[in-house]
Amino acid sequence: MSAAAYSRGTRAALGLVLPLAALAAWEIRARLGDAPSYLVAPSAILATVWEMIASGELWKHTGDSVFRALAGYGIGGACGIAMGLLAGIARPVERFYDPIVSLTYPVPKIVVLPILIAWLGSGDGSKIAVITAAVFYPTFINALYGAKGVNKLYVWSARNMGAGAFTVFRKVILPAALPQVLTGLRIGLALAFIVMVAAEMANSRTGLGHLIIAAEDSMRFDLMYAAILAIAVIGFAGDRLLVAARRRVLAGQTLGKEGAHA
Amino acid sequence: MLSAVGRFVLRWYSVPLVLAVWEILARTGIISKRLMPSLVEIAAATWAALLAGDLQFHAGISLGRAFTGYALAIVFGVLLGVAMARWRLFDALFEPIFSFGYPVPKIALYPVFIFIFGLGSLSKVMLIFLECLYPITVNAFYGMRQVDRAHVWAARNMGATERQIFWRVLLPGAAPSIFAGLRIALPIALIVVIITEMIGESRGLGYYITYASASFEYAMAFAGVAAVAAIGFTLDRALVWARNRIIFWERGAAFIGAA
Repeated sequence: MSAAAYSRGTRAALGLVLPLAALAAWEIRARLGDAPSYLVAPSAILATVWEMIASGELWKHTGDSVFRALAGYGIGGACGIAMGLLAGIARPVERFYDPIVSLTYPVPKIVVLPILIAWLGSGDGSKIAVITAAVFYPTFINALYGAKGVNKLYVWSARNMGAGAFTVFRKVILPAALPQVLTGLRIGLALAFIVMVAAEMANSRTGLGHLIIAAEDSMRFDLMYAAILAIAVIGFAGDRLLVAARRRVLAGQTLGKEGAHA
Repeated sequence: MLSAVGRFVLRWYSVPLVLAVWEILARTGIISKRLMPSLVEIAAATWAALLAGDLQFHAGISLGRAFTGYALAIVFGVLLGVAMARWRLFDALFEPIFSFGYPVPKIALYPVFIFIFGLGSLSKVMLIFLECLYPITVNAFYGMRQVDRAHVWAARNMGATERQIFWRVLLPGAAPSIFAGLRIALPIALIVVIITEMIGESRGLGYYITYASASFEYAMAFAGVAAVAAIGFTLDRALVWARNRIIFWERGAAFIGAA
């Protein structure tokens, strides 16, 4: 095992070594002109990104993509959490969902995309539907386990002190399940973005996934990288927002944190 | 007391219930019969595709790609995670790449991979490798870091060499977390292989489903979906089975989600 840890500065500097080296090698090779045409220089990509932000083209595709991802995320997440919490406190509901969810959970939900396109058309509907399905599972499972994992002593104590079923749910089960519910939401967000990009790449007329494929087809590699960069920024920013929200929501709360992971 | 039959019915009743609702919707034509084929038609289409060998052919190709990428990710991911947990230089070099890259959908890089690795299987395998590498590495890293120090001290106190500590204490201690990473990565491998085959390919189950539904053969498309579902379910169960054999001291692989 290592002895003393690096200082913060050394760590940050070391962390930049590999990405910067890769970027520099890429830039130099592209400038020298001995890189294949699909490796556009990073500086040229940034210029394209800037141009596209100024012309509003990037915003339009980003807006379409984010709308689909968030719509599916909202519907899937709301259903998943509501049903998961309900299944966690009511055995009959859990009995209903358990076999269906455990049978279909390991199935990649994206397989039904072509069929959804046939049903709902190739517009927003089919994409939102497949994202909804993908987000439902992790949010459901985590809400279920969060609600089931609540220490029974807390429930009994609350009931003993005269709390009704609704109060027990709101004041004990909900806060205790919250950390795991948020874990499910985080997994679901990552999935929502993956499925969004995949669905748009497979079949779409707008959105960042479509932009990548269209740019590739017309050999506009700078456009392609601009879209990839936008997707990376959205995915990363969404995750960080969720982590920050989680920290605020759970600030000062110790209930339910024993069993949950970050 | 419930009889064994009663418990079995109570445990599984919802699956036939959902299938029955499907069958009723399909038969009564509330939803167009062409869009929603009945289960009998889907079963017939599956059987026909199995007899013709179509499903086995495409499933074999998809599975080959998924397994190759997944296996590569296991080898490199576990090695890298262990190296990051043991040597601070590796940790400092790679940690930012993994913590920044984790929430980014790597699938967006597929067109670039096509240019680098070609249109065939290699670009798909490499993308599966990249997507699976993240959860496997991160879980191997945290697993190694979470090993109880008291266990290491105890082993050292009893005269264990560094090598013995690694193989007998650290690795078994990290194994549950490593398997959690493998279980997260498995459906990702399937997602990526299906998506990449849907985008540009003429073989594999992703292509089969897209082709079938584009030619309005919905029963055939559902046969492909059923094949993917069966594969996903079987592989997940096989992984849990292997996990419970290898990590026999810690029973019960729950759902993922946590970890």
